[in-house]
Amino acid sequence: MNLMAFILMDFWRNFRNFGNTFFIVVLPTALYLFFGVYNDWSEFDVGNGNASAWIMIGMAVYGAITATTALAGSAAVEIQTGWGRQLSLTAMPHGAFVLAKSVIALMMAVLPVVVLNVIAYFTVAQMPAGVWVATIGLTVIAALPFALYGLAVGLLFRSDAAVGAASGVLVIFGFLGNAFMPLEGVLLDIGRFTPMYGSAALARYPLTEGTIVGTTGFVGTDPLWAVLLNVVVWSLVFAAACFALQRRRTSR
Amino acid sequence: MRSQTSAQEPDLSQLITVAAVTKEYRASGGGKFRAVDQVSLEFSRGEVTALLGPNGAGKTTLLDMILGLNTPDSGRISIAGSTPRTAVQQGRVGALLQTGGLLPDLSVKETVQMVAALHRRHAPVHEVMETAGLTEIANRSVAKCSGGQQQRLKFALALLPQPELIILDEPTAGMDPTARHEFWDRMAALATGGTTVLFATHYLEEAEQFARRTVLMHQGRIIADGPTAQIQRQAGAAQIKVTWAPSAEDLAQLPAVRSWEVHQSGTGETPQITFRTDDADTLARHLLARTPAHGISVRPASLEEAFMLLTEKQDHSAEQEISA
Repeated sequence: MNLMAFILMDFWRNFRNFGNTFFIVVLPTALYLFFGVYNDWSEFDVGNGNASAWIMIGMAVYGAITATTALAGSAAVEIQTGWGRQLSLTAMPHGAFVLAKSVIALMMAVLPVVVLNVIAYFTVAQMPAGVWVATIGLTVIAALPFALYGLAVGLLFRSDAAVGAASGVLVIFGFLGNAFMPLEGVLLDIGRFTPMYGSAALARYPLTEGTIVGTTGFVGTDPLWAVLLNVVVWSLVFAAACFALQRRRTSR
Repeated sequence: MRSQTSAQEPDLSQLITVAAVTKEYRASGGGKFRAVDQVSLEFSRGEVTALLGPNGAGKTTLLDMILGLNTPDSGRISIAGSTPRTAVQQGRVGALLQTGGLLPDLSVKETVQMVAALHRRHAPVHEVMETAGLTEIANRSVAKCSGGQQQRLKFALALLPQPELIILDEPTAGMDPTARHEFWDRMAALATGGTTVLFATHYLEEAEQFARRTVLMHQGRIIADGPTAQIQRQAGAAQIKVTWAPSAEDLAQLPAVRSWEVHQSGTGETPQITFRTDDADTLARHLLARTPAHGISVRPASLEEAFMLLTEKQDHSAEQEISA
């Protein structure tokens, strides 16, 4: 059995799927190039770095989250449809399938993070080296809970179209979660409670140390515990949904 | 002492043993639906068996359990002395599943390569594709393949582990007659090589032409099992058609008749009668020697008729059980 070959082939299949790659890599990269590089505000100071870095992290979080959502979702659809039965007729144990899909999802999630950080590094983004390393790691980690979100959608609807829609909805979560443009006022008050807010704030924490950036300056502070609470609560919500759906599935 | 040890060894002539297997599903109404009901079967090496039955007879459920995709509620299944899952992991079993899906965004060749990577040992990819007739469409995406081409691809996947046992669930569904013919030619070559084949079908001529043994399933139970030719005999070997206008008394005296049907063609003309019989020789001799019946024709019953008759008997005896 050659699990590595399977992982590479399945990664390549997902990578060349334009519907996936557009939202995971192309869209966040394009948005960053439009709004994060060579704009009037690009070199404004933000925390330990500049605005360009702040915008880049938000885009990378969005891309990585789209990757974990889409891949976990499609894995759930695959295993429940005929392909899962086909794979059950091989020597591959179920655990190896989960492992393979986790590795593929992680590879896809790392992709936009690498692309955006490289572009940011060679353009105008500024961060101290240690902050840069920390934020890259946190971006990938912050995307992981969304694998549960994708999984729940895949278990609930068992269709690729639904998983695609769930990935599309992430644009709204990204907007409300402060990943794209700095929110203020009512939108910020609402956005704080949405799932991507915690992930974006966590990934930016090394840069901002919790300060909330508005278009007019600093509009407040998120303590670390509040950021973590958002991430933990939403992870639990998604996990509970998966658990309930899995039970419904096996009780049939 | 020696005979005792040999008695404990598994009987290796039987490749598959299904012992008193039952599987129930929760029905939508809230009750339980028994998809497979106390089924016991044995299949020896090199045997080609057709599993025949109408939709909902429990064929797919039984095959899924033999493949380890599903576990019986009670009873036991072993393949070459090990559990189905172990046998599958060892590559002893290949299967073409009815609902076995393919990924539409892979090419034909990629699909074979990807599944090959997950087997411990496998036949060379190009060889399997050649056998299944896929070489010409190797680079076509699965989404663009016809139903028949997809079945051939699934067949290639079934061949990959070079299995001793191949299980086919409605393998020719979606194939045109030519493709179906080609498919069975390939299977025949495989069976000649000693591969054990078990296939579910509702194309009766496939069982008649390809399987030496036929197992009939109805409502989760085995209602007949034996050489395909014998199954036909068991159900009433033949139909005899004569031109004759018998009285009720004449009919009562006929030997070996299971049922009859009168075809009145026109007023004044002698009607034609079709008899279903389990002993065509005796009935024909009686009709020609002792009655004025003429214009006799004898035709062996098709498996379809055999099947209908056997399921009727089954339903009938079930009714009797209830009324008793």
